[in-house]
Amino acid sequence: MTLRIGGIMAVLLVGPALTGRAMVAAQDSQFGIRGLGTPGRWESVRSRSTGGAFGPFDPLSPLMEAPLADIGQLTATAAGGTSHRDVQEGGTTTALRTTRFPVMGVAGPVAPRLAVAAGFTTYLDKSWDVAFRDSFLLRGVMQRYIDELTSDGSVTDVRFAAAGRLSRRIAIGAGLHVLAGSTRMTAERRFDDSTFHPVQQSAEVRYDGFGVSGSVLIGVAPGLSLAGWARSDNRLRAKVADTTSAITDLPRMVGGGVLFAPSPSVRFAASAAWRSWGRAGQGAFDTWTWSAGAEFGSRRMPIRLGARRGQMPFGPGTEAPTETAGSLGTGRAFAQGRALIDLGLERLERRGGGLTERVWTVLVGLTVRP
Amino acid sequence: MTRRRLALVGALLLVAACVERITALGHCPGDFCPSGQITIVDTLLTTNIARDSSYRGYVLAYQSPLMLAANLPGATDTLDGRPIFRMNPVGSRLRISTADTSTGLILGADSARLQVYFVRRDSATRNLRLQLYRLPITIDTSTTFADLTGPFTDSLVRTINIDTLLAQPGRKDTVTGDSAVVDTVNHRLVLSLKLDTAAARYVGTDSGRVAYGIRIAADTLASVALGKGSFGPVLQWHLRVDSLGMPVARNPGNLAAAFASFVFAPPPAPIDSTLAVGGVPSARSLLRVTLPKVIRDSGQIIRGTLILVPAVAARGAPADSFMIEARTVFADFGGKSPVDLRFGDTTVIHVGSTDTVKIEVTNLLQIWAADSTRPTVLVLRPEREAQAFGEIRFYPSVAAAFRPTLQVTFVRRFPFGVP
Repeated sequence: MTLRIGGIMAVLLVGPALTGRAMVAAQDSQFGIRGLGTPGRWESVRSRSTGGAFGPFDPLSPLMEAPLADIGQLTATAAGGTSHRDVQEGGTTTALRTTRFPVMGVAGPVAPRLAVAAGFTTYLDKSWDVAFRDSFLLRGVMQRYIDELTSDGSVTDVRFAAAGRLSRRIAIGAGLHVLAGSTRMTAERRFDDSTFHPVQQSAEVRYDGFGVSGSVLIGVAPGLSLAGWARSDNRLRAKVADTTSAITDLPRMVGGGVLFAPSPSVRFAASAAWRSWGRAGQGAFDTWTWSAGAEFGSRRMPIRLGARRGQMPFGPGTEAPTETAGSLGTGRAFAQGRALIDLGLERLERRGGGLTERVWTVLVGLTVRP
Repeated sequence: MTRRRLALVGALLLVAACVERITALGHCPGDFCPSGQITIVDTLLTTNIARDSSYRGYVLAYQSPLMLAANLPGATDTLDGRPIFRMNPVGSRLRISTADTSTGLILGADSARLQVYFVRRDSATRNLRLQLYRLPITIDTSTTFADLTGPFTDSLVRTINIDTLLAQPGRKDTVTGDSAVVDTVNHRLVLSLKLDTAAARYVGTDSGRVAYGIRIAADTLASVALGKGSFGPVLQWHLRVDSLGMPVARNPGNLAAAFASFVFAPPPAPIDSTLAVGGVPSARSLLRVTLPKVIRDSGQIIRGTLILVPAVAARGAPADSFMIEARTVFADFGGKSPVDLRFGDTTVIHVGSTDTVKIEVTNLLQIWAADSTRPTVLVLRPEREAQAFGEIRFYPSVAAAFRPTLQVTFVRRFPFGVP
């Protein structure tokens, strides 16, 4: 059994690398361009369809480790999402589209009271492409130009986690997080005056970091559970051609949630989290996020909905941009529950510094229990 | 069971392995741009050109693809250029008939027709006159202007007013038999001159070799260039050949020039401390550049301009602006440095001007930045060497106030990886 889990984990982790992209990426945002990037959402499609409220209790969401203790059998999951984003600023609206696969993982029990998991999720999305027109005085003449700056890549959180049930009421878990990734960055400037040759520079920036996390899941009463988690990441080191170009402190995070299931077909959850992104430097803010959601119906075909509100860690000005989202979704189990497809739809709005982003995201998740 | 599990995991991998890019270009308002910006630096390198020098003699008059004719009175002397050429011999005997191989002795010439190509002329010149002189057939590459003073004084065979000829109906002079054809596409003028027996003397002992020289004159400054090779002088003889005691007329094929060159006076001023470019024989100048490390190693050059101050007004025919070019070399061997013909930058020099000359040398500086093994040497030379009398002389690096300088615009390395 252990060998089987190890093999599947290895294939899942190495497979994407063989395609030329070792790192997955998540939804991006204009608010992440000036900072470290756009933080990923450590949630499965099921959890995200409830606004993230079920994240602390979902063994397939890489937010907490403790729920893995109840996973029961070998399980692999992956999620994908396509976002249509309208960026509105100063009366100008730009439409963008992106497709990302933000979560992959495999988990399974290795002993009667012990389960392990491995997988990766997007820690920071750093894919963007911006162009703008400007002018400046050069050789005594006002020269007009177009700049285009691009970044393509992300920082991935590779998680190795273990969880065990200490008693019927208490489960705990811990995880190691290896942060790794790269971005291909280019900077181009094209002058209107062709006497000046175009500027074209590019570099591959590699990132690395490390983090640890721990979590606990407590069954307070039948149908009522509490969850708590904490995580600390050390720093993100950026290297260009083996030279360190930046070292940025990464946040410490704590969060918790409550799950209330009055009946087998009705489940409510709420969660909150705090992250000290302000450690990342100027233009970065500590963030709060909270969410609430519900799941109705049988586990074979449930209906999910949720809401979320929070702050974005990077933005201009003195206040963190805000983020508000509503979501709904469903799922369908096949092959006697061995395969599950989850579908979700999320409407998201981000505001800050005179910029508004409105995003529709369609989510698809696939879970396999071989 | 195992196969089924593997198939399920495989399907999962297929879904996960596809990653798409953002498909649209975003707009970047000021507060939402990346913190790193492209930084442009414009700097004037005033002391980075040194050990510059000039050399003359790369292309001599007889090596030029053109024959230059000029009559340009100056303040102190007159630039006088005279094309000279010697035609190929026709021989002493000629075939009587195409039906057999029997030949007859050439008795003499009835006439001949000489064609010369004007490949460059100033259309604003008025009353352009061409004077044709018979020259000794001994002219060669060592012949000088002074050697031909006598023939150019006493051996005039024809004078043609080209403007008058061009004004004739059909551009043909029915009296002299001369004609002209103007190629409006290439702007060439083909002048066809009919030479009588006095002008086209067939001398049997010379096998019909003849040599001619040309002088030009005009109401204004006269300067033209005659072609060589494919566009060189052509002579068509009209001969009398002995056929069993009876003289018969025969026209052998066209004859090209065996030798074509030009002589001129005064000779170019000797090379001095200035940086000479152009003239005949052609002069080149070498400039050795020290490119600062900050530019060579860390920056991307987007524009480089070589700034040169003329020491004297550019010489030459006023109508004949000429191009000079800056090139790099494969190796620095001084005047014998092999020039890299792949990359070059040019500028136009206007005769008589003393304006500062600027040559865009961005391509060359980029090559140096990309390949640190290349010598950072610039060669200044005329784009068409020895094809014009034009010559310009620039102040060298020892002239502190007017020395050659480089204005370089470059981009510093973008701060990739900095949040």
